Order: sequence, then C-alpha cells, then structure tokens
Amino acid sequence: RPHSRRQHRDARTMLPLLLLLLATAHGLDKYTYKPKLVGSTLGGRTTATTFVLEQPRCVFSQDQAVIWLVVTLSNAISTFNDTVGPGTPERAFQRFPVNATAYMTLNTTLLNYPCPKPPGEIAVLRVGSETTCASDESRPTCNGPLPGPGPYRVKFLALEGTEPVAETDWSDAITLRTAQPLSSISAKDGHHGAGMIALTTILSILFAILLAGLVAMLVFWGSDACDSSTFSKQEAVSVRRYNTHHVYDQPAARL
Amino acid sequence: MAKSDDGIRILQGLLVFGNVIIGMCGIALTAECIFFVTDPHGLYPLLEATENDDIYAAAWIGIFVGFALFALSILGIVGIIKSNRTLLLVYIILMLITYAFEMASCITAATQRDFLTPNLFLKQMLERYQKSDTGNNNDKWMTEGVTKTWDKLMLQKQCCGVKGPSDWQDYTSAFRDTHSDADFPWPHNCCVMNAQGSPLNLDGCKLGVPGYYNSDGCYDAISGPMNTHAWGVAWFGFAILCWTFFVLLGTMFYWSRIEY
Repeated sequence: RPHSRRQHRDARTMLPLLLLLLATAHGLDKYTYKPKLVGSTLGGRTTATTFVLEQPRCVFSQDQAVIWLVVTLSNAISTFNDTVGPGTPERAFQRFPVNATAYMTLNTTLLNYPCPKPPGEIAVLRVGSETTCASDESRPTCNGPLPGPGPYRVKFLALEGTEPVAETDWSDAITLRTAQPLSSISAKDGHHGAGMIALTTILSILFAILLAGLVAMLVFWGSDACDSSTFSKQEAVSVRRYNTHHVYDQPAARL
Repeated sequence: MAKSDDGIRILQGLLVFGNVIIGMCGIALTAECIFFVTDPHGLYPLLEATENDDIYAAAWIGIFVGFALFALSILGIVGIIKSNRTLLLVYIILMLITYAFEMASCITAATQRDFLTPNLFLKQMLERYQKSDTGNNNDKWMTEGVTKTWDKLMLQKQCCGVKGPSDWQDYTSAFRDTHSDADFPWPHNCCVMNAQGSPLNLDGCKLGVPGYYNSDGCYDAISGPMNTHAWGVAWFGFAILCWTFFVLLGTMFYWSRIEY
C-alpha cells in the first residue's frame, strides 16, 4: 500500500508541472488591451475607406518581436488562426475579404511605440492610407483602403519570426462611413420668408392706391375740362378777382 | 384765400423737398446696385450655375430705376415750381412706370434670397466641383466657374464644404469619382496652407487634426454677401418706394388744386 500512495503523489505533482511546461512552450501572452479608435477631435477618425487607431503604447514588452495589425470582418473572428503568417495568400490584403478572411499590415517593432507616450504627441495609426499598392499582388502586407463599410475588428499580434508571442484582445466593431447618394439632397426646400411676403403686400397696396389716384385725377381732369367749356364758371372766377382788385383800388382812388 | 395760398405754398415746399430726397435716393440706389453688380466677393459663378440669377437682374433694374428717379425728380421740381399741369401729369405717369419697375426689382430680390438655401449650394458643389466629364460648352463653363470659385473661397475664407468637411464624406460627389477617399477625404484646398501655397502638413490634413485643416463650413461666407446684396436692393428700394408714394399722392393733390 505505501507503494501505491507514492505513485499517486508523484502523478499529482507532475500534472501542474506538465501544464506549466506546455504554456511556456506555446509562449502566447494575451493582453486585455483593446485597440480603439482615436478621440472625436480628429476629423478623419473614420472615412469611407480608412479609420484611425490609437497606437498600442505601453502594451507590449517583447523587444525582439515584430508587431502586426490584424484586420478582419466582425463575423470572421471566430475562425481566425494565429499561426497563419503575414505575407501568405491567406493573409494578403489584395485578396481581402473574399479569398482571405483577414489581412495583416502595419508591421513595426517596439521601437516605434515608445513607452511612456510624451504628452501632446498625436500617436495614431491610419489604417487604409496606402493607395499605391492596393492592387499590387506583390505587396500582400499593403495598408490599403478598406473595401467596404465593415464592420471590422482589429487586434495587434506580436510575432518572433513566425511564432506568435503576444496579442491584444479584439477591438469593438468598427463601422466606416457610408456616403448617401447626391440625389437625396432636396434643393427645393426654400420657403417664402415673412419679410418677403410683407414687402410684396405693402408695395402692391401702395401701387394700387397710386393707380386709383391717377384714375381719379384723370376723371377729375376730364370732368373739369367738360365744365370749363361752360364759360360762366370761368367768368365767375375772373369777376371775383376783378372785384377784389376794385375793392382795394377804390379807397386808394378816393384818397 | 390767403390761408389756402399759404397752404399751397407749404405743399409746394414739401413736394420740392420730397423730390430732392427722391433724386438723392435715386443716385444712392444706382451706386449701390452698381456695387452689387460688380460682384466684389466673386460669388457670381455660383449663382450663374443655379441657372437662377434673378438677384443680379434685380440689381441691374435698380441701376436704371435710380437714374430714372433722379431725372424725374428734377422734372417734378420744375413742374411744381411752375405749377404746370401738363408737366406734372407727365411726371406722375412716368413716376408710376418707374414705381412699377422698382417694385418688380424689390420683390424679385426678396423672393430670390429665400431660394438660396444651404442645400442648394451643397448640391451644386457636390455635382460640379472638379467634375471631369462635362457635356456641352455651357456645362463646362459653369463647372469651371464653380470649381474656381470654391477653390478661391476655401483658400481665402479658411473653410471647407458648405456645412463642413464632412460634406465630402456624407454624400457622393463628382469629386469623389475622380479622387480616392483615402488620398482625398476632402479637397486639398481645405488644408491649412503655408506661404508657398502647399499644405502645411498633408498627413495632418488627411487625418483631420485641428489646426491643419479647415473645419468650418463656407455657408456663412456665401450667405453673408448674398444677404447684404438681396436686402440692400429689396429694402432700400422699399424705403424709396414708400417715400415716393407720399410724394406722388401729394403731387396728385397739388395737381388737382392748380387753377387755370
């Protein structure tokens, strides 16, 4: 019986040791950092074919590794395999998204992500900025413009040679902007302002009054002309004048 | 008799004064409309491309009406002093014709101003700015006008688009057809320029970093001068017409009181 207990004890201590060996042999550090878009102060945060990420500063610690950005569609993250390397047809930008479910680009070393980040520095990564190599099959790690509005999910993956050594968490879904068609703008939405209506009304009324005045004038002139043919009226006027003239003259003559 | 004589004298004096004011306002109207027609802000190509530049027609009418008012006011003063019925009748009829033209100018300017909305300029900018395949000569002329005007506007007023640079992202456009979104999220004239006329920092401009690109819209720079133009023609004309109304009524009354 003492013989079997020692055997059991040995098996129990062996198991954790085995698991530890397995983990270090695989060597993948999984960080909880999630890549995220820059703040909304940047006007070009997302466009129709590009988006801007914050650089992963103070996240990685592997000096010898090359840090890659992995971009994939949201619905393809479950099938993503870390071991497929960049530069292969399965990870070529030009074949994304139809023939390659993900692509890897923006490779750099930890030297370009110094920690800590100096204050006031804009540390960003613009995904989709290289247009020259977008159709060049000889450049599978091209940072070309994204083919559609997404939604996309990204993560950072550190490779030593071909061996993945560290990775971040997947980001939240990133959806790009879609342009509405030009014809949807209705240019005929001008309405008549109150000022214009007041102006038109008042001017029309004033003009109508003036026209009425002109008509009255012409009628008056016409009737006046007819009446003036009767000489009596004219004589009455001149006689009156004559009278006043005489009234003033006579006292002077008497004197 | 003496009292009504005085009354008539006062009326004569008032009418002469009224006509002097009309004459001076006529000159002022002509000067103002000439100023607008010369287009100091260079925005006429935008109006021309809307194929509805009635605001400019209103200003042209204003120039001639101003002259007519000045000439007729002199005729009016002569007619009132001489108390000549024929002269005054001619004056009244010609003034009414001028009145009608000025009315048309005011109403046109006021109506057209309501027509010039931000969406109108937005649609026009997206349709025509940097359009490459133009059909006939007229189309090409208007496209060139719009492109040059927008380029100059964005450079001089440090603005981008009608409501902002996002106009270029929110809608499809002729510009987008020939310029890729990654290289040109918005035209390069939206970038802050250095002394040589090239972007201060093209990457900063493409990223949309404040200080390296113009984040304001140009609508204020367009609507400001156009509002001044439209209201200048419409409301100054309206003021002149109100004054002229009283002078004409007075002249009609005076005319009826002239004795043979």
